[in-house]
Amino acid sequence: MPDVWHYQMVAAVLFMIGIMGVLVRRNVIVMFMCIELMLNAANLSLIAFSRLWGNLDGQIFVFMVIIVAAVEVAVGLAIIIALVRNRDTVNIEESSLLKW
Amino acid sequence: METSVLEFTAPELHFGTISPLLTVALGAVLLPIIEAYLSRRKSFLSRPVTRVWIGFMLSFISTIFLAIALMLTLGKLSVPQAEVAFNAAHPMIAMDGTAHFLIATILLSAIMTILVSGRYLADVGANYGEYYALVLASVLGMMLLAASTNMIMLFVSLELMSIPIYALAGFRRLSVRSNESAMKYFIIGSFASGLMLYGMALLYGATGSVGLAEIGTKFDPESVLHLLGAGLLLIGLTFKIAAVPFHQWAPDVYEGAPTTVSGFMATAVKVAAFGALFRVLSLALQPGIESLYGALWVIAALSMTVGNVMAMIQRNVKRMLAYSSIAHAGYLLIGLIVPGSGGYSAIMFYLLVYTFMTIGAFTVISVLAKDHEDKDQIDDLAGLSVLRPFLAFVMAVCMFSLAGIPPFAGFMAKFQLFKAAIQASTELGDSSLLWLAIIGVLNSAVSLYYYLRIPVVMYMRDPEREADPDSMAGFERLVLFVCAAAVFVLGIFPHDVFVIFWDVDVIAVVSEAARSMLP
Repeated sequence: MPDVWHYQMVAAVLFMIGIMGVLVRRNVIVMFMCIELMLNAANLSLIAFSRLWGNLDGQIFVFMVIIVAAVEVAVGLAIIIALVRNRDTVNIEESSLLKW
Repeated sequence: METSVLEFTAPELHFGTISPLLTVALGAVLLPIIEAYLSRRKSFLSRPVTRVWIGFMLSFISTIFLAIALMLTLGKLSVPQAEVAFNAAHPMIAMDGTAHFLIATILLSAIMTILVSGRYLADVGANYGEYYALVLASVLGMMLLAASTNMIMLFVSLELMSIPIYALAGFRRLSVRSNESAMKYFIIGSFASGLMLYGMALLYGATGSVGLAEIGTKFDPESVLHLLGAGLLLIGLTFKIAAVPFHQWAPDVYEGAPTTVSGFMATAVKVAAFGALFRVLSLALQPGIESLYGALWVIAALSMTVGNVMAMIQRNVKRMLAYSSIAHAGYLLIGLIVPGSGGYSAIMFYLLVYTFMTIGAFTVISVLAKDHEDKDQIDDLAGLSVLRPFLAFVMAVCMFSLAGIPPFAGFMAKFQLFKAAIQASTELGDSSLLWLAIIGVLNSAVSLYYYLRIPVVMYMRDPEREADPDSMAGFERLVLFVCAAAVFVLGIFPHDVFVIFWDVDVIAVVSEAARSMLP
């Protein structure tokens, strides 16, 4: 029978994969998906803690996060599409007009 | 394991308390509808409908909404005790004096931004009506963020503030620089929200509640889980104020974004994020504050130093102002380390002053834009005193004030901040705050170099190009005048500011407001 800390372990692993993905990958879409992974790791963690404490605050929090993540996807993809239209690349290293 | 019984109690709504929020929310919802309606018509009240006219109408309407919200907020400033907004037992937001003061500053920044945006957007070929709705939505997020006392509200309002600003940073959708700026801001901003959200999940797991005040009663600075959660939460917020080492996005984003949006980001976002930092530090993390001082001390010292040193080597004014905003975030963080309400009130005064001087500087740069291009290199300012004397004067005043030269307001703000730090260090017998104030003073001296370079270029070099026709709109003149006047008045008579027909003692207002937040 898995207890709450098993869920926390999975959440922590997902969160680390997300962080590593953002830091290591250079494709904007992949980085973006890794950010979503981070949000979902936090969601899993919140739900497991909500079960641990027996109150619903964590569950409500997760609903809010899901809505925010959906909004972020809409705006984020629009920004990436605008970039691709002008530059024809999703590689973040080639976007280097602005530096120093 | 037992789950609690579901009980639903309808929240009490106090419309009077949240009336400024409701006004802005109504504006954000109505503006796209008004835009859609106007752009379908060939003529309105027997006038031909053009894009420029629609832009003008929308900026006018959004200014009215923001001005009503500002009036409502200013009316509440005189009664600084907290008002109940939804539910007294589990408050989502606290509309106290601090919140009202920060909200008023945010609204001022938004009004000035909107007034100067119309002509700039038309000039750079991005005159779309969504701009105003996005600004209002973002302002609503900032107002809630400055008042939120609950982690759910904190997260949602932070995102409501940030997501419209991602879109605004990329608002010149045909400009590659603007696209790149939006993309960088979006990736780094969402990454920071992800870190912050995980920190909130850990804090919830450690304490079992999402209210900041309840977390404060259970916070245990010995436990790793508590400290990890608090650390991640603070990292998310320091990303938003662009403090070192979480600052790398700021110069790129400020440079690439439309100039008016950069001014808005530099001021209003910082005000709102400091509001959230006030709440988090004074409510949730109060028991562990001793163990966080060290980290905040290092962040403040690094922000001041790195910001000022990097600003010295910039050739682009917007980029230089971005590094200067990093340095100012460092000065402001000194106030967070000062215990009690003295530091908070100094920060609030500083934020008000910073809003005027930074909006003034960015507005000058936005007025100079010509032929779909920003004229934002320092060399573009050469001989501005001959070409556009009024612009050069306002820019020089803002630069002197940012550098902290008396009698301008920037000096008064820095003086209050360093005074609070030094007083606290003598009272507590703790020399670390004194050292931080000394680092701050030394950094102000360093910053003179790059701030004063701008007046030197404007007044002592010959113009390299022909005089432009003076295309400034009346609103821009008004905003520049207000910024310059506010910088003078807040610097010389902070105890006796004359607003229309009231005499306001700003210093007393901020200290009253700061006291109202602390329990």
